[in-house]
Amino acid sequence: MLLEVLNNVFTIQIFLFIIMGVFTGICIGSLPGLTATMGVALVLPLTFGMEATPGILLLIGVYVGAIYGGSISAILLRTPGTPAAAATALDGYEFSKRGESGRALGISTISSFIGGVVSVMALWLISPQLAKLALRFNAPEFFLLAVFGLSIIASISGNSLAKGVLCGGLGIALSFMGIDSITGYPRFTFGNINLLSGMSFIPVMIGLFAMSQAFSTVENIFTADEVSQKVTKVWPTRSDWKVILKTAPVSGLIGTFIGIVPGAGAEIGAFVSYSQAKRFSKHPELFGTGIPEGIAAPEGGNNGVTGGALIPMLTMGVPGDAVAAILIGALTVQGLQPGPLLFTEHTTLVYSIFLGMFIANVTMLILGLSSLKFFVKILSIPKSILTPMIFVLCVVGSYAINTNFFDVGIMLFFGIIGYFMQKADVSVSPAVLGLILGPMAESNFRRALLMSEGSYSIFFASPIAWVFLILTIFTLGMPYVTSFLKARHKNIA
Amino acid sequence: MRKANFIVAGVFIAFAIAIIAISLGYPPSNHGVPGPGMFPIIIASLIIFSAVVLIIATLKMKESQNTKVDLTSKNVVNVYITMAGLVVYFLLLPNVGFITTTTIMLVLYIKWFSKRPWWKCILISILFTLAIFFLFGSVLNVPMRYGFLI
Repeated sequence: MLLEVLNNVFTIQIFLFIIMGVFTGICIGSLPGLTATMGVALVLPLTFGMEATPGILLLIGVYVGAIYGGSISAILLRTPGTPAAAATALDGYEFSKRGESGRALGISTISSFIGGVVSVMALWLISPQLAKLALRFNAPEFFLLAVFGLSIIASISGNSLAKGVLCGGLGIALSFMGIDSITGYPRFTFGNINLLSGMSFIPVMIGLFAMSQAFSTVENIFTADEVSQKVTKVWPTRSDWKVILKTAPVSGLIGTFIGIVPGAGAEIGAFVSYSQAKRFSKHPELFGTGIPEGIAAPEGGNNGVTGGALIPMLTMGVPGDAVAAILIGALTVQGLQPGPLLFTEHTTLVYSIFLGMFIANVTMLILGLSSLKFFVKILSIPKSILTPMIFVLCVVGSYAINTNFFDVGIMLFFGIIGYFMQKADVSVSPAVLGLILGPMAESNFRRALLMSEGSYSIFFASPIAWVFLILTIFTLGMPYVTSFLKARHKNIA
Repeated sequence: MRKANFIVAGVFIAFAIAIIAISLGYPPSNHGVPGPGMFPIIIASLIIFSAVVLIIATLKMKESQNTKVDLTSKNVVNVYITMAGLVVYFLLLPNVGFITTTTIMLVLYIKWFSKRPWWKCILISILFTLAIFFLFGSVLNVPMRYGFLI
């Protein structure tokens, strides 16, 4: 099998796609206003005609590159290129103010690489075991897993649990459209032929993540960002190396575990790693003044998320973050169903993804250290020209999946909805995760009841089911318990 | 934010009631096995419940947390104009053709956003449109010829 994987990955074609992906990713990530999710959504249509391995690795390259690329503008402009680099801007920009932006970028590049490699190792070690466990899941367990996934998404994404649930509910409701998978009854199609096969998932995503983001950019389109820094001395000094090697691997692990949790993406990974490094530091008061730990921790953390997010996606079909949700879309287009069976039926593909992701991280390191000056130039591409081009890419991308203009309409509709949701402080990710987890929850719920002939006791019949039930109750109850405890603490004090 | 929360909750409640109304017309459960309407009703009820929770939380919200949502400033109006332009583009695209509509759309937006000289806007737009046309049309084999022009 090893030989097969090596043969599959070590081809010029795959290497080219990975390099292209990482390069595009860094460019997209470094431009403020273009997020990693948007980048992956925009590149996705290019993979429709490709085979599975190069297609997925191209997207993973974009993902890895974009999460790293966000740090470039965070350090130089104090504007994080992606939300994932928001924590990096705190200390990174202080370096630039002192004229040490090269040093900061070097630390960020190497920490991102270490974080990424740690997460790929975790992906390699954990997912086959998790897939084996998931093979023992039946309809009730999959239903409860989906419910757990949805509850955790609702509780951590965004500021309000109620808004998270509303948005997740919207996603699930959209998934009802089309012919019911169990009875064959058409639901919510309103007599429209285009809706019979259900709401196309990819146009909804391009709309919510790319188009709505482009609309937000239009708000500030007449203000320009300026980069005046010259980047020199990228290679870290000996004392910086010590900090990187001490901080980045730990942050990478923290990021990986946050990535595994459905709904928690790279921005949360970066912030948790940052605050963890601060808490265990001997000099926490120096954070925010431009110290190497302040870059190594969030950058190790956000790239740590990349591998972690793929773990539940590949093993159970539950996306770890919004990008993983798009990757599920990409796999489905290829006729592959993410889940435990992927590990038994498409073993070569799975291990090619692991190896390819490692190569993507190495590519990121090499490109980062060698071509930073080029990526800094990218920052001066005006968004006033880029944004209209993104409109075109969104339109063509959503048209390309089924060569159908109805899908373009769907994309535009959700682009507009997504813009207003952002305005009302409703995070859009739960909708997309709901769109994926909704059918998983529904079909397994009904299949379980078919198995038990209508008895609900089947949901409490196995230990795995109980684990998911307890986890769900814990997740939904946690915010209320902590606020109650805090209130009591205040009263006593 | 208070007003925005009420609108969000209201829209979602209306949406959920519509789901329930439609789902009630679907075939019923059979021997305890749920029919096609049961899950939509469960989810719609969950939406209504969360919307009510949101309304209550908003009523309790302190005045200090009540940040203003900007929906009328000049910058936001620019977004509305952009949206309207794209809707027009979407309506013309299948009927007129990709290259013509896309080039015109790009020229107008780039001119408006960047205030560059006309010839630069036109050049950038034509080059980008052709690149996309050939990338999708020839390399990726997506049928890109439609409409009465090209």
